[in-house]
Amino acid sequence: MNTKERLFHYLKPLKRELLFALVLALLFVVSNLAQPFLLGRALDASNNNNLSEFYIYLIVSFVLALLGTFFSYIFEVIVSNASQKAIKNLRDDIYNHINSISIKDFDAKKRGDIVQLEIRDMEYFAGGVYAVFKTLMQGIFTIIITIIMMCLVNWILALGVILLSPLSVIMSYIISHFSGKYFKKQSSLQADVSSISLETLNNIDIIQSLNHEDKSLEEFKKKNEVLRKEGRVAQFSASWVNPSTRLVNNTIYVLIGIIGIIMLFYDEKLALVYAVMSLGRLSSFLSYTTQYSKPFNEISGVASEYESAKASFNRVNNFLNLKEDIDEGNKEISEIDNIEFKDVNFSYDMNKKLIEHLNLKINKGDKVAIVGPTGAGKTTLINLIMRFYDPQSGEVLVNNIPYKDVKKHSLRNHIGMVLQDTWIFKGTILDNIRYLKPEASKEEVIEASKKAHADLFINAMPNGYETVINAKEGLSEGEKQMIAIARVMLLNPEVVILDEATSNIDTRSEKLIGEAFDLVLKNKTSIVIAHRLSTIINADTIIVMKDGSIIETGNHQKLMKKEGFYYSLYSSQYK
Amino acid sequence: MMIKKVSEAYKKNLALIIFGPLLKIIEAVFDLFIPLFMKAIIDLSQYDEPSQIPNAISQSLARFIRVFSPGDAPISDAITGGIIILVMGVVGFVITMVAQYLAAVTSTNVGNEVRNSLYNKILHMSKKDRDEITNAKLLTVINSDTYQLEKGVLLFVRLIIRAPFILLGALILSFVLDWRVGIAFTVIVPLIVLVNILVLRKSSIGYVEIQKDLDELSSSTSEVVEGSRVVRASNNQEASFNKYSNKTSSYEAKSIKVNKINALINPLTFALTSIVLIVIIYLLKGDLFSSSNVLIASTIIAEMSYLAQIFFTTVQITQAIIEVVKAGVSSHRIDDVLAKEESIISGDKTNEDGNYPLIKFNHVNYSFNKDDNYFLTDLDFEVRKGETLGIIGGTGSGKSTLINLMERFIDVTSGEILYQNTPIKEYDLKSLRNDIGLVNQKASLFKGSIYDNMKMSNPIASEEEIIDALKKAEAYEFVSKYEDGIKHEINEGATNLSGGQKQRLSIARALVKHPKILILDDSTSALDLLTDKRIRSQLNEMKDTTKIIVSQRVATIQNADYILVLEGGKIVERGKHQELMKNSSIYKEIYETQVKKD
Repeated sequence: MNTKERLFHYLKPLKRELLFALVLALLFVVSNLAQPFLLGRALDASNNNNLSEFYIYLIVSFVLALLGTFFSYIFEVIVSNASQKAIKNLRDDIYNHINSISIKDFDAKKRGDIVQLEIRDMEYFAGGVYAVFKTLMQGIFTIIITIIMMCLVNWILALGVILLSPLSVIMSYIISHFSGKYFKKQSSLQADVSSISLETLNNIDIIQSLNHEDKSLEEFKKKNEVLRKEGRVAQFSASWVNPSTRLVNNTIYVLIGIIGIIMLFYDEKLALVYAVMSLGRLSSFLSYTTQYSKPFNEISGVASEYESAKASFNRVNNFLNLKEDIDEGNKEISEIDNIEFKDVNFSYDMNKKLIEHLNLKINKGDKVAIVGPTGAGKTTLINLIMRFYDPQSGEVLVNNIPYKDVKKHSLRNHIGMVLQDTWIFKGTILDNIRYLKPEASKEEVIEASKKAHADLFINAMPNGYETVINAKEGLSEGEKQMIAIARVMLLNPEVVILDEATSNIDTRSEKLIGEAFDLVLKNKTSIVIAHRLSTIINADTIIVMKDGSIIETGNHQKLMKKEGFYYSLYSSQYK
Repeated sequence: MMIKKVSEAYKKNLALIIFGPLLKIIEAVFDLFIPLFMKAIIDLSQYDEPSQIPNAISQSLARFIRVFSPGDAPISDAITGGIIILVMGVVGFVITMVAQYLAAVTSTNVGNEVRNSLYNKILHMSKKDRDEITNAKLLTVINSDTYQLEKGVLLFVRLIIRAPFILLGALILSFVLDWRVGIAFTVIVPLIVLVNILVLRKSSIGYVEIQKDLDELSSSTSEVVEGSRVVRASNNQEASFNKYSNKTSSYEAKSIKVNKINALINPLTFALTSIVLIVIIYLLKGDLFSSSNVLIASTIIAEMSYLAQIFFTTVQITQAIIEVVKAGVSSHRIDDVLAKEESIISGDKTNEDGNYPLIKFNHVNYSFNKDDNYFLTDLDFEVRKGETLGIIGGTGSGKSTLINLMERFIDVTSGEILYQNTPIKEYDLKSLRNDIGLVNQKASLFKGSIYDNMKMSNPIASEEEIIDALKKAEAYEFVSKYEDGIKHEINEGATNLSGGQKQRLSIARALVKHPKILILDDSTSALDLLTDKRIRSQLNEMKDTTKIIVSQRVATIQNADYILVLEGGKIVERGKHQELMKNSSIYKEIYETQVKKD
């Protein structure tokens, strides 16, 4: 969908509200703008000594003022409700889309940007939709109705105002154009300055230890000085708005006023061309003159909100246009007997070769260890096994069925993962552990936790298994990892994928976690990013990876005999 | 010079702060006269001579117009009057723009001054002080409070005198023209203010609630984003969507509620102004239906202009007050940071090498807050020149805090640290830090070229020295692969480097300094053991350099001359690797979980 179609899609269910709002806008603009007309007429009625007419005009004016107030309130509420409804639907759709696009598309985006779609972009969009609808609807009506009203009062003066009005529009356009330019410059400078201060704060111990404070200050001052100068220009150029609109409005007011006064002298002649002039008419006219430029200024005022809403909506639309990860497979598997890589080629980036001609068969009960330096691409293998990514050529099969024919969910349900950073969501420990098996009873959860050595620390928490935890607080890295192990213990899949890296874990927990690792792997097909010697030596197959490719495979004895990379790695690490 | 309080920045710009608003008064006077002139022109058009006009003000203004009028025909009077108003408008405009420029100068000057001083303050703040204030707050203060302050100053100069002057002037003049209208206007001002304040207060409470919901949405979204892989492996999508959908509904409901309050402002102020006009015309009914009809009609036209001015400035003042109050809050927060007393002050002593330990910890205790239990307890050890000290321990064992003490990022709670046989608190801070090459856990690098980053630690280092250091840190291999070599640019946050590359570069940077003491704080954790080993053997060649190596890995520290095993902030074991393997069960246990266990 392009942006217009997308926008239409979300506005379509709101068409009744928007139509209603349009009618209300017309009603309240008419009642508001009738005021000067009616009051002018009342003045003229007094001039003609017509008391009953005078009262009628006042009463009608009063009633319309109340109605206008009421209509305009309802109008604002309806527009805001409608835009909030659209926002809610969009937010929900984005959330669902986050969970349904492929991992490949997902990984290509910055995580922060995805979160910002839901927060910042939606806020900008909401603000923009509300402001644009509100201002456009009432602004355009105001302009049209004012012109009609002015023509009703005196068409010659109306012509004058219409001819003069471009003055104010051009003025405000030029000013907002200039100040917009400088504000953009200013805000990018503000971003520079704030990123300097962020970088400084993040690395301040190194700055202090290098005695680099004075130099850092000098650099900051330089940037800040540029910011001061640009800021001055930006603020000054923006400050033209009020005085110059005042000047333009006053000028128009005076010109119209003077012309009106002069017309009073030629009243009788003007009556011949249907342009009667009177003091009452002059007063209504001057009111319209002061109000006439307002909608123009307001419409140009929402231009910036419109721009940022448009940019945000474009980002949202691009995201929603990412294809859903369609599951073309339809076969269910009841158990994983084997997983096989047949001449698999894969890379994230077409220009950089990664996995080439990989042939590998993992049978039920096999223990596979992946070793190699950090950044060697060990997780890539796991991405392929979980089918987060598809190979460029060759195929991966489970139970001799090509991956593409198997339901993704059916495949993933048989594989348990314990990765280095454990995902914890806000919720009770109980729900966190049974996330992959929501139907599990509390007893089952406790049993699994015991096996994962997690039971001990969970019981020490204030509400035990009912304690609410979240990703940021409450649990140490080691404890989080034990929760991940408990999750897999509970799921009890045939295949377990495990990353043994235990950085940021204190030595005591490291030992406990090691034991839990052994337990969760017991009697399972296992694929382990191995860090512990025991895992490596006992593995049926060791996959040695370096710089993104598999350079050696075999068991420990075979690889040692080869005296290749594995040999040197092993020797440096364990001897 | 750096300022210690926001008010000092005001003082420096005092002339501007006073002069700007004064200029504005001139324009305000012109602005207030326009409706009166307009009335005089209308009156003059209806009476033949100024002396016939019953209203005194109108009469004198009409005389004034007559002075400039080329003839006494009504049309020439009207045109002359119009020109006078236009000239006043243009002169007023020019004067205002001068004032606006002064306002921009003042506010950016103040902002600039305050920002520089804050940054300088932060640069020299000790770790303890920063932790007390928190980094998040420091960032808000320097990046958002300063702008809020600028905005406040700007509005202050632009409006603080002008707006009340206009408001008061318009009220007085409306009284002078007709006292009944004056009363009606005086009644309406507080009503407009009241409506604005009530609505804003109610809605600001609502916004706090909305912000909370928004934070909830943000953390829920982050959660599924972080858990993308696990979520895809589960059956739980629907349940989590329902939870999220409830949250968006709650957000929707709260937003609608706040908007319902906000939507009151425009209709209510509109109602107030239209009704007051109707009431005025009703009040003046007697005069309107009498013989002086002309005079009353021109008065009503003038009064309508004043009503517009009163309405506009009242809203302006209400909004300006909100901004100025916000700026006041910001200014307090800025003052809090600027007033923070420095807890670490440099000593003035230095000392040469001698026959004493380079660093000596004398029964050192440390706690983060005065009343807390000690986080580090009774640390007692020494390091001699050229020695390698290994420190091992898990997270939370106090390793990094110990390093912070050595760099004097923090001071001991009790006990004493001696550097070159001089109490560290009396030692010159710059020379102490100059002696130490620190490689921290984060491997902090800065935006700029690799070369610039290396030069940071030693501005006079030659290119050869830098390349030599890069080689020793096993970094030259990947650096030389870049087309632009050591001139290669590092992104902000070093996002274009891997963890291992960052660590190697920050080791190299420490070496460029030729430090007396090299501190490696867990700085090879992202390296494979092969590279780690190569770096260690290069470092071993530097016999004169004292090395302090902190790690969680036994392999990294096992060749140290002396090893401290840290647990819970205490030294639980100490000795050489072999001794510890024999005597220390903890050390042996760590060794076995990491290396030997079958």
